[in-house]
Amino acid sequence: MKAIEASGLYKTYSGFFRRKGGRALDGVDLKVDAGTAFGLIGLNGAGKTTFIKTVLDVVKPDKGSIRILGGRPEDIQTRMRTGYLPERLEMPGAWTPRSFLRSICRFRGVRDFEDQIRFRLSQVGLAPEAGHRIRTFSKGMKRRLGVAAALTGSPELIVLDEPTDGIDPIGRLEVRRILEQEKKRGATIFINSHLLTETERFCDRIGIIHNGRIKREGSMKELCGDVDRWRAAFEKGSDEELIRKQGFEKETDSDDWIFVTSSLEDLNRALDSARAGGALLSGLRPDLKQLDEILAEVAGGEE
Amino acid sequence: MKRISFAAFDLLKEAVARKWIVAVSVLITLMLLTLAFFLRLDVVDGALAASRFFGRDMGSDIRAVDIELKPLFQAAGGLLFYSCLILGAFITADFAPGLLSPGRIEHTLSLPVKRWELLTGMFSGVLILVLLGCMYAAGGFTVILGIKTGYWTSAPVVTGLLAVAAFCAVYGPMLAVAVFFRSSAVSGAAGGLIISLGIMASYRAEMAGMFQPGTGRWIFEILTAPFPRIVKLSTFAMNLDYAVSTDWLELVRLIAGHILFGSAALIVGILGFDKKDF
Repeated sequence: MKAIEASGLYKTYSGFFRRKGGRALDGVDLKVDAGTAFGLIGLNGAGKTTFIKTVLDVVKPDKGSIRILGGRPEDIQTRMRTGYLPERLEMPGAWTPRSFLRSICRFRGVRDFEDQIRFRLSQVGLAPEAGHRIRTFSKGMKRRLGVAAALTGSPELIVLDEPTDGIDPIGRLEVRRILEQEKKRGATIFINSHLLTETERFCDRIGIIHNGRIKREGSMKELCGDVDRWRAAFEKGSDEELIRKQGFEKETDSDDWIFVTSSLEDLNRALDSARAGGALLSGLRPDLKQLDEILAEVAGGEE
Repeated sequence: MKRISFAAFDLLKEAVARKWIVAVSVLITLMLLTLAFFLRLDVVDGALAASRFFGRDMGSDIRAVDIELKPLFQAAGGLLFYSCLILGAFITADFAPGLLSPGRIEHTLSLPVKRWELLTGMFSGVLILVLLGCMYAAGGFTVILGIKTGYWTSAPVVTGLLAVAAFCAVYGPMLAVAVFFRSSAVSGAAGGLIISLGIMASYRAEMAGMFQPGTGRWIFEILTAPFPRIVKLSTFAMNLDYAVSTDWLELVRLIAGHILFGSAALIVGILGFDKKDF
C-alpha cells in the first residue's frame, strides 16, 4: 500500500497582496510506500513545504491528484490517521502542553487521552513541564512538544517539516530514536529536513526536489550509484611506495588512499598484496557521494 | 457538530487567558459592585418611597417602581447593547487573525476538522463569549435591582440576548475579513464599519430625503438596504418593558435580519476559507 501517491501536482502562487508569486510545484510525481521513512530534500524555495502542505490539504493544488493512505487528503477519516509538524509551529502561549495535546486528542478522537498525553510528553522529555505555560518554553522545547503533537493518537502517516530545527544534538538523537520506534510500529514517516546527514541516516528513501519537480528519488544506494571508488587507511609507517604500486592513490588533503575499481576481486587482490608487503590496513569504506554533493549536482545541473 | 463544539471550546479556552477579557470582566464586576453598594433606592410596597438615584432627590411624587426606574433600565439597556457591540468588536478583533496566523493554521487544518466547521466553531465560540459577558452584566444588574427594589424584570436579560443577535451581524463580517487579511486591525475596522453602517441604515428613510429623488437616492437606498438596522434593534432593547405596544413582528424581523446578515457574512468567509492556501 502507498502512504502517499502524488501525480502531476502543479501549484502556482499568485503574487497577490504581500505574497511572492511563482510556480512552487511543477508536475510532482511521488509515491511513498507505507511503513517506510521518506526524506524530501531540496534547496530553499524548491517546493518542499508546498508539497507537504498539498499532501495535507493546507494548500490546494492547481492540477494533479493526491491520495494519502488510500483516501483524499481532505477526508476526515484520512486526517484521523495523519500527524503533522509544520516548519513553524505556533501554539497558544497561555495553554499548557497537556491542554494543547488534549485539544488534539479531542479532534483525533483519542479515547484514552490522558494516558496518551502522559506517554507522549514523557517520550519527548516534557513530562516535568506538563503543567507549565507554553509561552515560557524555549524554541527546542516547543519543537519537542510539536513532535509530541504530531505523534499523538499514533497516526499511520507522520509528516514532519524540519522536525529537529532548534533542538540540541542530544535532543535530535532522542527525536530520531522516537521516530525509529514509530517506524517499527508500522507508521510511515515523511520528513522534510535541511539536515542531510540526519535524513541520510534515518530515511529508507530520499527524494530531491528542485524547482518544483522531483529530480531524483531512491534509496541512498540508488542515489549514490554503484561503488567504484574505495577509501582505505593504512597505519603510519607503512611502505607508501608498495601501497602505491598496488594501484592506490594517496589523497592530497588527507592520509586516505583511493582505489578506483568496481571489482571486489581487484580490490581484495590489491589489499592482500599491500598487507603481504607489511602495510597495516586500519580502515576501508566505499567512497560514496554525499547527499549534499548529489543535491549540489542536481541544483547545479539545473542552473 | 461535535467538531464545531471542539473549535468553539478551544477558542473560549484561549479567550479566557487574554488580558482584555479579564479587564472587561473586572470592569463589569466593578460596575455591578458600584450598583450593589452605592445605589440608594428605598422601596415601600412596590413604589419608591423616596425617589433618589445615587442619593439625588428626584423631586417627584411617589410613583410605581417600574415607572420610576424606567430611565435607569433604559440607560442600562443602551449601555449594555452598545458596549456589547463596541467592546465586543474591539476585544474579539484579534481572535480569528490569531487562530489563522501562520504557523498556527497549518497545524489546525491538518487536524480532522473541516474548514467550515473550524470557522463556524470560531464564530460560535465568539458569540458564546459575548453572550456570557452580556448575561453576566445583565443578570447581575437584574439581581441587584431586584433585591434593592423588589421589582423583578427579565428586560435586561432580553436586552442582552438582543445585543448578542446584533453582535452576530457585526462579527460575521469581522470573521470573513479576518479570513482574507488575517489582521486584527482590519478585522476590528470591519466591525466598526458595520456598526457605523448599521446606525446609518437605521435612519435610511430619514436620510434618503437628503438625496435628490432619482438615481442618487436610489443608490443610497440600495447601498444601505443590506445593513442591519442596529439603532432600531437597540430602541426595542431599551424599551422592552415600556413600549405601549411592542411590534413583535417588526422585532422578529429585525432579529432575523441581524442573524441573517451575520450568517451571510460567515458563509462568504467560509467560501473564501475553503479555497484559501495557508
